[in-house]
Amino acid sequence: MPYTNYETWKTTPITNKPLLSIVIPAYNEAQRIVPTIGAIASHVSDLGFDWELIIADDGSKDETVPLVQEMNFANLNLLIAEKNGGKGSAVQRGMLASKGDYVLFCDADNSTPIEEVTNLLDRLQNQGYDVAVGSRAAEGASESNKRFMRHLMSAVLRGIVKYGFRIPVKDTQCGFKMYTEKAAKHLHEKQTIMGFSFDLEILYLARKYGYRIAEVPVNWIDAPGSKVDPAKEARRFLRDLVKIKRNDWQGRYGGAA
Amino acid sequence: MKIETQQKSDVVIVRIEGRFDAFGVPEAEQHFQAAIDQQPRHLVINLGGVNFIDSTALAALVRALKRVREHQSDLSLCNLQQAVQIIFELTRLDKAFSLYADESAALTALGVA
Repeated sequence: MPYTNYETWKTTPITNKPLLSIVIPAYNEAQRIVPTIGAIASHVSDLGFDWELIIADDGSKDETVPLVQEMNFANLNLLIAEKNGGKGSAVQRGMLASKGDYVLFCDADNSTPIEEVTNLLDRLQNQGYDVAVGSRAAEGASESNKRFMRHLMSAVLRGIVKYGFRIPVKDTQCGFKMYTEKAAKHLHEKQTIMGFSFDLEILYLARKYGYRIAEVPVNWIDAPGSKVDPAKEARRFLRDLVKIKRNDWQGRYGGAA
Repeated sequence: MKIETQQKSDVVIVRIEGRFDAFGVPEAEQHFQAAIDQQPRHLVINLGGVNFIDSTALAALVRALKRVREHQSDLSLCNLQQAVQIIFELTRLDKAFSLYADESAALTALGVA
């Protein structure tokens, strides 16, 4: 009775520790957040385990917060921010507030369909990985509707990450990543970058601390209404790369896990 | 996204498959308009192959409903997957449309054999 699973999830608070927490950062997502929550709630409620949804608002000025509040779902935790602190800050608050054994961060536009969640969960639950990274560049992945500038930006950034940072992941920026509880808390407590390139810092730290990282091919659809300005974000990304290296040289990340 | 149109008696059926979002809306609206131009008694949109619908696509359906009613006709939706059904409920659009379990239920309700 799949629909019953959804109804139970939305009306009955879970009493056990959730197996999975899903964190969605949201800044002015009134146009996109409701369908995404619907798709996630429908799919994950049918997977047969306890789970929670965390919407980490990032100081939205539109109707994002009232729309989510109005749903009044029993297992949806809305974290409201007074100010816009950057996508990384929203993800960090969500990760640190999560209670699940595993924590998925996914974008508010459902650009990586939630059906991919089981592929990532399998890597952590059954294959001993600590971090599973949804990837648009791994073998078997697909990208639809991607615009030229985003292709170009991705290619340049992948080169820098591969040769400059030795991060064992071809696609650091896909908004679909899962962590064990320990890795999620540890890595996001150490996080210093609150903007677009926070993912890169988290993966840099994951490699530094010796966490096992799996890159998992996903289907990805470039959802309309993306807030990514390729040129602006590429400049920020390069600036943040320097910051990560400097932080490490200055010992701000400490030693191994 | 794939779209096909079929006429049965004085009812036009539009079947949509795939992710129905802003990228697919222009094509869908062309099909809706072509269907409305045929001045059917009723337009049925079969969303059975749609696994995700975004707010732009929902707005396109509302616009189609308005246009159909301007022509003294009506529009129904059928065969919604669970996720799409839930999205309609969360946006309260399940109250705006007549929803049927499948195409044959819609056609039976419209008196088309």
